[in-house]
Amino acid sequence: MIALAAFYLFASVMIAAAAFTILSRNPVHSVLWLILAFFNAAGLMVLAGAEFVAMLLVIVYVGAVAVLFLFVVMMLNIDLAEVRSGFTRYGLFGAAIAAVLATEVVVADEAWHSGALMLGARQAVTPDNMPNIQALGALLYTRYLYVFEGAGLVLLVAMIGAIVLTHRERSGVRPQKIGDQVKRRPSEAVRIVSDQPVGAGVEL
Amino acid sequence: MSYLDSLALTAPELILSLGATFLMLVAAWGGDKATRTISWGAVALFAAAGASLAGPAGHGGSAFFGLYTADAFGAFAKSLIYLAAAICVIIAPRWFEVNERNRAEYPVLILLAATGMGMMVSATDLLTLYVGLELNSLASYVLASMAQKDGRAAEAGLKYFVLGALASGILLYGISLLYGFTGSTHYVDIAHEMGGSAGMGALFGMVFVLAGLSFKVSAVPFHMWTPDVYEGAPTPVTCLFASAPKVAAMALLVRVSMVALGPATHQWQQIIAFAALASIILGAAGAIGQTNIKRLLAYSSINNVGFMLIGLAAGTREGVAAVLFYLTVYVVTVLGSFLAVLQLRDRQGKPVEAIAALAGLSQSRKGLAAALAVFMFSLAGIPPLFGFWPKLLVFQAAIDAHLLPLAIIGFVASVIGAFYYIKIVKIMYFDDAADMISPDNGLVERWTMALAAMLLVVGYVLIPWLGAASAQATGALF
Amino acid sequence: MITLGHYLFVSAILFVMGVLGIFINRKNIIIILMAIELILLSVNLNLVAFSAYLHDMVGQIFAMFVLTVAAGEAAIGLAILVIYFRGRGTIAVEDANRMKG
Repeated sequence: MIALAAFYLFASVMIAAAAFTILSRNPVHSVLWLILAFFNAAGLMVLAGAEFVAMLLVIVYVGAVAVLFLFVVMMLNIDLAEVRSGFTRYGLFGAAIAAVLATEVVVADEAWHSGALMLGARQAVTPDNMPNIQALGALLYTRYLYVFEGAGLVLLVAMIGAIVLTHRERSGVRPQKIGDQVKRRPSEAVRIVSDQPVGAGVEL
Repeated sequence: MSYLDSLALTAPELILSLGATFLMLVAAWGGDKATRTISWGAVALFAAAGASLAGPAGHGGSAFFGLYTADAFGAFAKSLIYLAAAICVIIAPRWFEVNERNRAEYPVLILLAATGMGMMVSATDLLTLYVGLELNSLASYVLASMAQKDGRAAEAGLKYFVLGALASGILLYGISLLYGFTGSTHYVDIAHEMGGSAGMGALFGMVFVLAGLSFKVSAVPFHMWTPDVYEGAPTPVTCLFASAPKVAAMALLVRVSMVALGPATHQWQQIIAFAALASIILGAAGAIGQTNIKRLLAYSSINNVGFMLIGLAAGTREGVAAVLFYLTVYVVTVLGSFLAVLQLRDRQGKPVEAIAALAGLSQSRKGLAAALAVFMFSLAGIPPLFGFWPKLLVFQAAIDAHLLPLAIIGFVASVIGAFYYIKIVKIMYFDDAADMISPDNGLVERWTMALAAMLLVVGYVLIPWLGAASAQATGALF
Repeated sequence: MITLGHYLFVSAILFVMGVLGIFINRKNIIIILMAIELILLSVNLNLVAFSAYLHDMVGQIFAMFVLTVAAGEAAIGLAILVIYFRGRGTIAVEDANRMKG
C-alpha cells in the first residue's frame, strides 16, 4: 500500500518539478527544480527494484551534473545584483526543496522495505536473489565490456573537449615556473652585504 | 569465443583509440607545436586501422556476445571513413595556422570520433549503436566549435549541440521502446520479434529511432542544423562532417533498417521514401539563392542524402548496394569540393567563402576552376561525370522495387537541382573576373583534389570493381 | 496495483515536457540544456521500468550508459555555452542569428 502511495507521490512531484524546470524564469530555480525531478525519478526507480541506477542518478546528477549547471548559471549570470539581492529568497526556496527531499527519502525507504513494486506478472528484477548491484556488475564487466570501454572513451572525449574549448591562454599573467624555481641556487639568490659599515645602507 | 578473439575482431577501433590516447600524451607534452607530427601520426593510425580490415576484423563475424560484428559491410564503410578522416586531418594544420592557431587536440578528437564511427557501422546491438554514436557526436560538437576567433563557430557548435542532443534523446526514447516491446537490444532478436508479434509499441519505437537517425544523416525533416553548422564550423571540420560521419550514419541506418527492422520493411519504407523525397526537393530548393559556398555544399549534401535514401527505401539487395556505391562516389566528390574550397584565399591568405568571388576563376586559376566544375557537375549528376552513375543505380533499384513515382519525382527534382550547380560553373567561366582569389601553394590539397577530379572523370572504368565490392559488402547483411 | 503502463505514461509526460522545454524557451539556452536532461531522464525511467517488467538486467545496464553519456554531454554542452557567452555576452536563444539562409 505504501508503495502505491509512494509511486503517486513521486510521479506527481516529478512531473510538477519538470514543469517548473522548463517554465521558471530564473535559471537558478530551474536547476533546483531539476534536482527535485531527478530525486523523484530516483524514487520511482527504487520502487521498480533498480536501486543501483537510482543511487547513481542521485550521485551523478544531483551531485555532479546539477552542480555543474548551477556553477555555469552563476558564472554566466549577467545580472549579478539581482542574484545577490535574492539570496534570502533562494535560501527559503532551497530549504523548502530540501525539506521535500528529506520527507521523500523516508517514504522511499519505507516503501522499499515493504517490497518492490510488481510490474505486470513479473516478480523482481534481480536473478537468484543476487543483490541488484552485483547482478549489474556481473553483466557490465563481462558481457558489456566492449561498450563499457566505449563509455570510457566518451568520458575522455568530454574531458578533452571541455578543456580544449574553455581553456584560454591569457597574456600578462605570471604563472609559476616550477622548473626555474627548483633550478635556483643560493649563490644566485643571496648576496652577502655584511661588510658594509653600519648605517651606510645597502645598494639593492 | 574468448575475449582475445573478440578483441582481434575489433582491431581497427583498438588501434585508433589506443593511438589516440598515446597521441594525446604527445600533445600534452609537445603542445600545439607538435600538431604536424601528431597529424601525421594520426594518418599513420588511420592507415594501420584500414590495413587491419584485411585481417579477421574485415570478415570475422560476431564479437563480444553479438555486440559487434566484423563483416564486409562494416569493412567497406570503415575504409571510406578512415580515408575521409585521414584527409581531413592532413588538410587542417595549414588552415588553422592562417585563421586560428593550431590545436594539437584536433587530430586526437578526429581519431576518437572515427573510433565512434567504427563502432556505429559495426554495431549489431542498440547499446553499441548508442555509445558509438555519442562518441562520434560529442567529438563532433567540440570540433565544430573549436575556432575561437570566428564568432560563428561557437554559434554553430551551440546549434549543433542542442539539435544533436535533442535527436539523441528522440533516438534513445525510440530505442527504449524497441527494447521494451521486443525484449532485447540485439538486432537479430529485435528482427525476430518484429517479424512476429511486435505491436504498436515497437512500431512507435521504430519511428522514433528513424527520426533520430535522420538527424545524423541530415535528412529532412531534421536537416535544419546542416547549413548553419557547415557555414560556422572551420572548413576542415566541415569537410569532415560532410564525409566521414555521413558514411557512418548512413551505414548505421542501413544496418538497423535491414537487419533489425528488416521484417517491418513495409512499415518503414514509407517513412524513408518521404524523407528521401523531401530531402531531394528541399536540398535543391534551398541551394537557390545561397551566397556562401559552404552553405551551398550543405544543401547539396541534404539533396544527395535524399538520393541515397531512395536506394534504402527500395529495401532490396540492389538498393543497399546502390547506397554503398553512391556513398563512395559522394565521399570522393565532397572531399574534392572542400579541398577546392580550402584553396580559395584572398591576397591576405584569408579564406574566401562567397560565391560571387568565384567570378572569372577560370582565368586566374585554371586548374582549380576546372576541378570545381567537375565536382559541381558530378554533385548535380550530369551524365558524362561519374556522379551520374550512382543516381542511375538508385533509380534502377527503386523501379525494380515498384517505387516508380519515387524514382520519377527524384529524377525531376535532380534536373531542377542541377540548375544551381551549373550557375556556379557559369560564374567561374563566363562572368567578369573579380580577381579576388590568390594563388595558393598547398601541395596536398592540390594533388588530392586533382586525384578526386580525375576519379570522377574516369570513374567508369572502376564500375566493375566498385560494383563487386559494394555487392559483396551488401551480401553480409542478407 | 502499479503496472508497466503507469511508468510508461509518467515517462511519456516527462519526455513531452523535455521536448516542449526546448521549443517554448526563447530566453535562456541553459534551460534548453536542462530540458535535454529531462528527456534523458524519461528514457532512463522507461528503461528501468522495462527492465523490471521483462525481468532483464539489460535495461538497467543501458540506463547506466545513458547516465554516463549524459554527464559527458552536459559537460560539453556547458563548455560550448561558456565560449558562446564569452564571444557574445548573452545566452538568449533569439540572439543566435549570425547565420541565415
